[in-house]
This record gives sequence, structure tokens and C-alpha cells, in this order.
Amino acid sequence: MSKKLETELYKAATLTFEELGFLLPTPEVDEQQLNAQVEAAVSVDFEGPFSGRLLVRVCGGLLPTLTANMLGEENVPSKSLQYDALGEIANVICGNMLPGMAGSKDVFHVSPPMMAESMDLPPVAEVQVGLGLGRADLLLFISRYPALMEE
Amino acid sequence: MALNILLVDDSSVMRAIIIKTLRLSQLPLGEIHEASNGQEALKVLDGNWIDLALVDINMPVMNGEEMINKLRQNPATADLPVIIVSTESSETRKEELIQKGAGFVHKPFTPETLRDAVLRTLGGLDEQKAGDRTL
Repeated sequence: MSKKLETELYKAATLTFEELGFLLPTPEVDEQQLNAQVEAAVSVDFEGPFSGRLLVRVCGGLLPTLTANMLGEENVPSKSLQYDALGEIANVICGNMLPGMAGSKDVFHVSPPMMAESMDLPPVAEVQVGLGLGRADLLLFISRYPALMEE
Repeated sequence: MALNILLVDDSSVMRAIIIKTLRLSQLPLGEIHEASNGQEALKVLDGNWIDLALVDINMPVMNGEEMINKLRQNPATADLPVIIVSTESSETRKEELIQKGAGFVHKPFTPETLRDAVLRTLGGLDEQKAGDRTL
């Protein structure tokens, strides 16, 4: 896996969780976070100089807290709002990660978020972000542009 | 004068975040209208007085760029102030969109960034004071 891709993915993810979700990533993923069960996942596809998919999974009861933080509400938001919030998180992470990988001039089209499906490819980058008692997993799949995967 | 604002974003959560941010910004707010794509937004504009539109780019049915093109072609809405609120990070694309007479706020944004972009777009803020994430 590419260290550069993982670094850009981690930077975009932590920025988004901090500024949009008001959740501070922990410096390391501890055992409790590591064992947290997957609760929801979404993905966004992108096309441009290289094409692929970003999959975002949240684990350990993170999603209601994340959504409530984004909305500034104390009550637990509905499931549909929780999926909407996770989709927006994935969209923002994707939009912020691509220029770090490709350069600020390259143009990408990012598709609307959808319920997550993995790809029949190994991820080229995979990072985990510890958040409270849970964690977020981010998997980047590239379907075209082999040179990027070799970096 | 209270501002009537149109929010156009396919994410209801993002619309709620923007509304919350606008309310925190101490801007004089009037009616806030919501639409989940460009086509819905054009219908809202048909029947309501709007002072400012905050528009996402990537949306189903009609995206933000197509919506802005239609606004600019219609004499009744050609001069409507528009701020794009998007994850778009390509400088090339941002320049293209700004050429259409729109401000730009990058997601994620702080309340101050959004407030400054609104004030600047409406002519109430010196460009020197612009936030670092706005163009």
C-alpha cells in the first residue's frame, strides 16, 4: 500500500471528523476501538485522472454521536439522518483527499454517497481513525491508474 | 434588512449545519428556503424573493453548476448573489465556477468562514478580511 495515499487519506479524514463532526481523533487506535463492531458504511465513487471508490465504515456506536454533533442536537437523530450524515462525511473526506493525491489542478467528478459496497480489488490505502470508544475505517480503491498504486 | 436565503444541497444534514451556522453568525435572517437539487431550487426561486443562494455542486437531478447557468440566463435571476458551498478542491474547477459570478466556501467550513463569505458576497466585508478557505 502507498504511504503517501494513506497519509493524504488520514489527513483528510481527521480534518473532516474534527471540523464537521466535532470529534477529536485519538493518537492511536486502542484495543477497545479496534474490537468495535461495524455499525454502518457508505462509499463515494470518483472519476478523473484516476478513478475509484472511497469506503467509510464507522464502528462502536459512533454514528449517533457523530450525527448529533454535526446537527448540534442532544437527542439521537433518526437513522435516515445518521446515514445522510455519514454520506456527507464520506463526500467531504473524498473531496479533501483527492487534491493531496493528484494535485490541485486536476478535476474529479465525485458521485453522491451510497450504501457501501466493497470492490473486487484490494484497497490501495487503508487507515483507521480512533474516535472516542469507536473508530472509523477508510478504504481507498483505485480501479484505473496503476502508476498511482506503485508510488 | 432581513435576508431571505435559499439553501440548495442534497444532504439534509448539511442544510441543517448551514442553517445552524447562519443563525450563529448574527446575520439578519429572514426566510430560509431549502431545496435538495437545482431543479427544486429554480421552482423555489419562481415563487419567492431570495436575496442569496448557497449552492452545493454535486447533486442529483440538476447539479449546482447547471443551476447557476440557468440563473444567469434568466434576466430575473441573472444578478442573484450565489455562494457555492462544496467539497470541490480543484483550483481549475473553482476558477470556472467563480467566473460564473459565485463566491466559494470549501467544506468543511467554520462559522466565521461562511459568515465572511456571505458578507463579502453581499458587499459588506472588505476582501482583506476574507477567511483563508474562501475565494
